[in-house]
Amino acid sequence: MKRGLLFFCCLLPVLLAACGETGQETARGPADLIPSLTWQAPDDLDAAEAFTLTRSQEGYILAEIPDDDAAWLVVPEGQPVPEDLPDTVTPLCQPLTDIYLAGSATMDMLVKLDALDAVAYSALPADDWTIPEARNAMDRGDIVYAGKYSAPDYERICGGHCGLAIENTMIYHSPEIREQLERFGIPVLVDHASHEETPLGRMEWIKLYGALLDREARANAVYEAQAEVIRALREPDSRKTVAFFYLSSNGEVKVRRPDDYIPQLIRLAGGDYVFDHLEAASALSTVTLQWEEFYAAARDADVLIYNSTVTEALPDLEALAAKNPLLADFSAVQSGEVYCTKENFYQASMELGDLASDLHAALTGDTDHLTYLDRLE
Amino acid sequence: MEHTLFHTEALSVGYDAVPVLKSIALSLRPGEIVSLIGPNGAGKTTLLKSVTRQLAPLAGAVYLDGRDLSTIPLPELAKEVSVLLTERIRPELMTCRDVVAAGRYPYTGKFGLLGDRDRAVLSQVMDLMKITDLADRYFSQCSDGQKQRVLLARALCQEPRFLALDEPTAYLDLRYQLQTLSLLQTLARERGLAVLLSIHEVDLAAKVSTRVACIRGQEIDRFGPPEEVLTSGYIQDLYAIDAGTYDHRTGSLELAPVRGAPEVFVLCGGGTGTPVFRRLQREGIPFAAGILWENDLDHPVAQALAAEVVSLPAFAVVTDQTMDRARALIETCGKTLCALPERAMTGLAAPLAELAQYARSRGKLEARHGL
Amino acid sequence: MNAKQRYRAAYLLLAVLLLALLALNLCVGSVSLPLSQVWAILQGQEGGAGADILLRIRLPRAVAAAVLGGGLALSGYLLQTFFHNPIAGPYILGVSSGAKLTVAMLLVFAAGQSWARSSWAMIAAACVGALASMGFVLLLSRAVDRMSVLIVGGVMIGYICSAVTDFVVTFAQDADIVNLHNWSRGSFSGIGWENVRVMSLVVGLALLGTFLLSKPIGAFQMGEGYAKSMGLNVRAFGGVLVVLSSVLSACVTAFAGPISFVGVAVPHLVKSLFRTAKPILLVPACFLGGAAFCLLCDLLARSLFAPTELGISTVTAVFGAPVVLWILVHRRREGVA
Repeated sequence: MKRGLLFFCCLLPVLLAACGETGQETARGPADLIPSLTWQAPDDLDAAEAFTLTRSQEGYILAEIPDDDAAWLVVPEGQPVPEDLPDTVTPLCQPLTDIYLAGSATMDMLVKLDALDAVAYSALPADDWTIPEARNAMDRGDIVYAGKYSAPDYERICGGHCGLAIENTMIYHSPEIREQLERFGIPVLVDHASHEETPLGRMEWIKLYGALLDREARANAVYEAQAEVIRALREPDSRKTVAFFYLSSNGEVKVRRPDDYIPQLIRLAGGDYVFDHLEAASALSTVTLQWEEFYAAARDADVLIYNSTVTEALPDLEALAAKNPLLADFSAVQSGEVYCTKENFYQASMELGDLASDLHAALTGDTDHLTYLDRLE
Repeated sequence: MEHTLFHTEALSVGYDAVPVLKSIALSLRPGEIVSLIGPNGAGKTTLLKSVTRQLAPLAGAVYLDGRDLSTIPLPELAKEVSVLLTERIRPELMTCRDVVAAGRYPYTGKFGLLGDRDRAVLSQVMDLMKITDLADRYFSQCSDGQKQRVLLARALCQEPRFLALDEPTAYLDLRYQLQTLSLLQTLARERGLAVLLSIHEVDLAAKVSTRVACIRGQEIDRFGPPEEVLTSGYIQDLYAIDAGTYDHRTGSLELAPVRGAPEVFVLCGGGTGTPVFRRLQREGIPFAAGILWENDLDHPVAQALAAEVVSLPAFAVVTDQTMDRARALIETCGKTLCALPERAMTGLAAPLAELAQYARSRGKLEARHGL
Repeated sequence: MNAKQRYRAAYLLLAVLLLALLALNLCVGSVSLPLSQVWAILQGQEGGAGADILLRIRLPRAVAAAVLGGGLALSGYLLQTFFHNPIAGPYILGVSSGAKLTVAMLLVFAAGQSWARSSWAMIAAACVGALASMGFVLLLSRAVDRMSVLIVGGVMIGYICSAVTDFVVTFAQDADIVNLHNWSRGSFSGIGWENVRVMSLVVGLALLGTFLLSKPIGAFQMGEGYAKSMGLNVRAFGGVLVVLSSVLSACVTAFAGPISFVGVAVPHLVKSLFRTAKPILLVPACFLGGAAFCLLCDLLARSLFAPTELGISTVTAVFGAPVVLWILVHRRREGVA
């Protein structure tokens, strides 16, 4: 009896694995999912890899986010939802209204798409938005604060017939919230732009939102403009070494992983990221560095860029030195090439090209018209 | 040494403003040993704690050498008064020597290091208490009895003039009970140590104490020399003993007698009957005993355990009446046990041989001595 | 070997261990410095980037780890003696919860203010919180007459502070929550000479004070009843012990965040080594032991997964908890209560 049980327990994982594999082998394309529609080949995206868009001749668009196992069918206004729509595909009938926006990186894209009127609820209070259009919309009352992403005000959201909730990957820490929203019949789209490996890839997500909100032409235009800015950046005469970091409240040094989008922007802007040699064992985009390591790598960096969180902008060089007296030794501090990010740095997710251009300007010494950085005196 | 070392005035003790004992007026002279006796929960420990500043009194005052105890600074008091508590202590990794040496605390310097005099006192006290061989053993690994002796040694190391002991004989076997009490007597006599102790062994209290204080209800009911305090029946009353008897003359405790009409008649005397009585009591057989003179060794036990005792005043001559009563009992009882050897039944006790004969003739006599 | 020989050997062992770990801490790091170079730099014969790293980053950090580790062990010893409780530690009186509360309040409510930006602000906040907790415990100690009740009081204060902290955190940004969480893990990172000066002064004074109180602490080991009968003012002394241990743990928490297990484990280790609990021996020994233990843990925290640094509490728990378990089991078998 015991042996039989043991045998069965050994067999079970094999059986389960086999099921999984069969699932993978028959990954279905749009034609298999919704055969009633006539599908074209998926869109050829420039740099994005975390989502795909496939169009049907009838005007429907299938958006897929493989990392989330999510598939969305954009149903044009007036058209019916196909009868053979499987359970794994969620229909989104245009026009999408009353969106609950909990992914702050998406806001900039929606603003650029001029689709802010589709948003009714925000997971950040008005003062936490650095994008002026968003703040104004909240001040006017067009967008209402409906609780943090980790504690949404369900009553408010459901009472207003929410059409879609846009979350970011932080929602994976609280799956029960997603389940609750879905139970209320609110589709939840998890923005995976942060999974993109390149800045262009990140920005290309505007095309997904363009498809959802019927603003595709605009999406393409905005994307192209930023891509052009990046392509136009000229390699500077000499590459400068750049350190991008911040000091946490208990004195630890936090830097971004070398493959994160900000170091990539720095590279595009003509700088060399001093922490490129790091082989970080972290899955997070930010790595805690030991002071020795930081000192050794960044002391002779040409440029220091201090990453202030939204609430902690440094007013001047003294404030930086006050954080740790060792910073006074750094050559960038002594030569005065120290910058601090402005509060708009993070939420400008659709302006990465402009951001790179700003970085380029700072690195080449053209510091008079910086939009996203402040030079510390 | 007539002056009073220690006395209390209208002392009221208890916890949380609830008095357990009131109007206590105790006194001790140097060299006196006073025992506190009383039922469980009477307040002996509370009283001992209150007179040693372990607990604040609720009312009244305690005086040492005429000074109010609460005005004496603690370090000074520690050189005069020392205690043995019932609380179990768990000193970590302390050897017995360490525990005893703790008694020198009031006398050692800033860092508590032992000086020559301290070491001398230490070894002397350990010899007295016979714990020298325990010196290097961890306190927590000792038996309860050993721990008790170590703690008493500690108390003595403080070289007090007044010693308060809470049940010092608890956990001690007979040898050490006697040894401890003897030691206390010696110290009281030779060094003028005044000792206040609480004790459950009333017979020992009677033997060792100069005076005994009995706690009854919320007061000290009697306070005086043992022979005046521990009178017949008083202890039985004080402790509300209902499942046996206490004999104030011998200090002996006996279990309850078996009730009922006697089934066995025991001919005995001079201590030969006591083992028989006890065996019959254990077996649950009611019995009668005789003829016992009141000054006989068997008499107290017979009174406690027998259904009926045929007894005579001390040194009296056996009367006919007594013989008749004895014979009647031999008749009614199923059997007669004779615990006395023949040669003992002479002189005043000759009539007992007669009774034995009588029993034999009635076919009721069972084995002679050696039962 | 007899007792005196044992004590001498034990002290020697602790001293050697401490020096060895200190040397290791100075040599090991992302920039590896051989011992000869370290020695040269310490004598002032060498300069350059290596010297900078050694003298301005590694050495203050090592000294801080030693001083704070010693302080924690001392605090733990005091509380274990006072409460006759083998699992008492520096945070049993709610000191770290109080510090965490004020740090949370600083992070959430004052983040934008200019004065909140310096590292001294965090230190001051943690200190205030820790000492406020201590104040409450002291007030409590005057109202109760059994010192063991203080543990319950301390634990309750800890709960209250945690609850209020949770309340404050609901109004916090995610970044602040992460900051608070990082702070709670404890770290010696970023400690400079200025900090070291202050903490050495505080811990040094506390160590001296504790050593001078060896005699009353010894009396305490006999229990409150006997201690009082030997002439010790138990209540006042209890207050002094609370203050000393709280100041020690407040100092550590302020500079390095809450560091678990050092205070609980090290006194046990040292007692097993010395086989006695006499304060006059154990006070310096616990300090040395705590210093060595913390140096070891810091070394591991920074070098195991370099360049990522583990939180110090992670490492101390991994070492501390099994040690405590082993000691408790071992002592049960020995029959020592």
